Amino acid sequence: MKNNINMMNKIVCFSVFLLAFFSCKHHENEYHSITDKIEAESKDYHGTSISSEAYIGEIQTIEITEGDHTFLIPERKSQIKSYACTECHSKPLSQMKSKDIQKAHWDIKMDHANENTMNCVTCHNPDNIDDLRSLTGHTIDFNTSYNLCNQCHTKQFEDWKGGAHGKRIGGWAPPRASMTCVNCHDPHKPHFESRWPARFNTQKVKERE
Amino acid sequence: MSSNNNKKWFSLNIGRKEKTSSGSCSCGKSSGGCGGSSNAHHMTNEAFTEAAINASIGEERTKDGFEQVFDVKMDRRSAFKKLTASLLIGAGAVSTSCSVISGDESKEKAQIDWEEQFKGNYKLMTDKEKEATVDRLVRSYQLRTGKNISMSSKNAEEDVLFGYAFNISKCQGYMDCVNACVEENNQDRNSQMQYIRIHEMKDGKGFNFNEADDNYYHEVPAQGHFYMGTQCFHCDNPPCVEVCPVQATWREDDGLVVVDYDWCVGCRYCMAACPYDGRRFNWSKPEVPESEINHNQHYLGNRMRKKGVMEKCTFCVQRSRAGKNPACVEACPTGARIFGNLLDPDSTIRWVLENKKVFRLKEDLGTEPKFWYFMD
Repeated sequence: MKNNINMMNKIVCFSVFLLAFFSCKHHENEYHSITDKIEAESKDYHGTSISSEAYIGEIQTIEITEGDHTFLIPERKSQIKSYACTECHSKPLSQMKSKDIQKAHWDIKMDHANENTMNCVTCHNPDNIDDLRSLTGHTIDFNTSYNLCNQCHTKQFEDWKGGAHGKRIGGWAPPRASMTCVNCHDPHKPHFESRWPARFNTQKVKERE
Repeated sequence: MSSNNNKKWFSLNIGRKEKTSSGSCSCGKSSGGCGGSSNAHHMTNEAFTEAAINASIGEERTKDGFEQVFDVKMDRRSAFKKLTASLLIGAGAVSTSCSVISGDESKEKAQIDWEEQFKGNYKLMTDKEKEATVDRLVRSYQLRTGKNISMSSKNAEEDVLFGYAFNISKCQGYMDCVNACVEENNQDRNSQMQYIRIHEMKDGKGFNFNEADDNYYHEVPAQGHFYMGTQCFHCDNPPCVEVCPVQATWREDDGLVVVDYDWCVGCRYCMAACPYDGRRFNWSKPEVPESEINHNQHYLGNRMRKKGVMEKCTFCVQRSRAGKNPACVEACPTGARIFGNLLDPDSTIRWVLENKKVFRLKEDLGTEPKFWYFMD
């Protein structure tokens, strides 16, 4: 009889233990946090069938590789109205500055750093006006003009490569296409203008009266 | 409906405006015979809604909340199921018997309305049922307005978990995102419903929502202020889903927290449960000018809602499941908004999470929002 009770006790204890053990295995508590979940579930990520390619649309792109990142940026040269520059800049810059020659670039007012730091030839190559020029005199193509910006804006460049700075073109899915610096910032006047908000909610005002 | 006032369930008087005692036939006309004019069996929308409400909740309309829950003679859902078939046949029978020239369209409309009235919860539907529902809604819209919409019932894709990051340093407070969201998601223009709020906060005061202004109208960015946006954060552990008494809101496999507008009873528990003010309620019938309606819709997203239901940001499910960015991300001129697949180690959103100093709002609540903030 005593044996039996002992046996019963053991069984009850064991089943309680089992119950407790399994009842803790709720699916939603599988991970401690969303970060753990992302890490665990992305381990065997095989890609998705969703593509954003169609949404890039008619924008011509070029593929660039910077560090660990390979992605598309819009092609630039075909978007510059007055490219190639040599169509007008047929003579050396010093001659074109003279008074008898037709004035040009009325619309460009430099508002980028100060005069001590930058002028036209900090970026433009006076000897070959169709190209850009780095601070140390290396030629930079207009299509990869971000290489000019990243000489000073190194932090922004790091963020841009990773995707924290700069807007995506198309959608979130691969292939990644990102705006390059000059697609959002006018290189001659790179800051964003202040303006009025796109809308004002008059109903909200009434509700809160 | 004079003869049916004491009945709990709607019976075969569809197509009749008001049954008069002298009615000589089942179509409710007192003279001129059946089928003489299509007007007689054409029901107005209001009349139909009224009839449908009577049919579905009947006397419970006058009961209070407690009685509604505890004083039901029969399980409502099973009653519905049993009734649907017979009602459908009945409705069909009446309209067929009554109409000679009233046309197939009104019959079809009636049929659609009945099927819609008694359809199940979207969450529990098979893919085929989802498709049928969506087709029905598209056809219904076509019959009512003569215009075409496309509505998707696309399910969550495997290996996708949507996440969002917001760069506080970049936001200038332009509210282009709010504009785009309203237009994309067919939000009610009368009540000026907006899913996104942009909070103008004073520098040096931290994230002080009490002192922030979410309805400013002056040139931005204002000096000495910064801007941060809030919307539905699509929590991985969403409290709004927990509290829904009818399971009309749930978390999809790709992390989107969605609402079945047709299953929602409008109790607004979810609105109360959300710690982020992410949910909106339709106090009136949402109205959007026909020319402004976005015709690219998803059942769980921007399709037209009705009065008395909850709605919220869905990360633009109609766009995101197709690979596009949500409308707010696309509209942002400063690139402050980043959206992507959290499970893709090469995605930009992952890079942000791993390389920037990110945080979320009210992290201590354990709601696990999938909406991160960061600064340059």
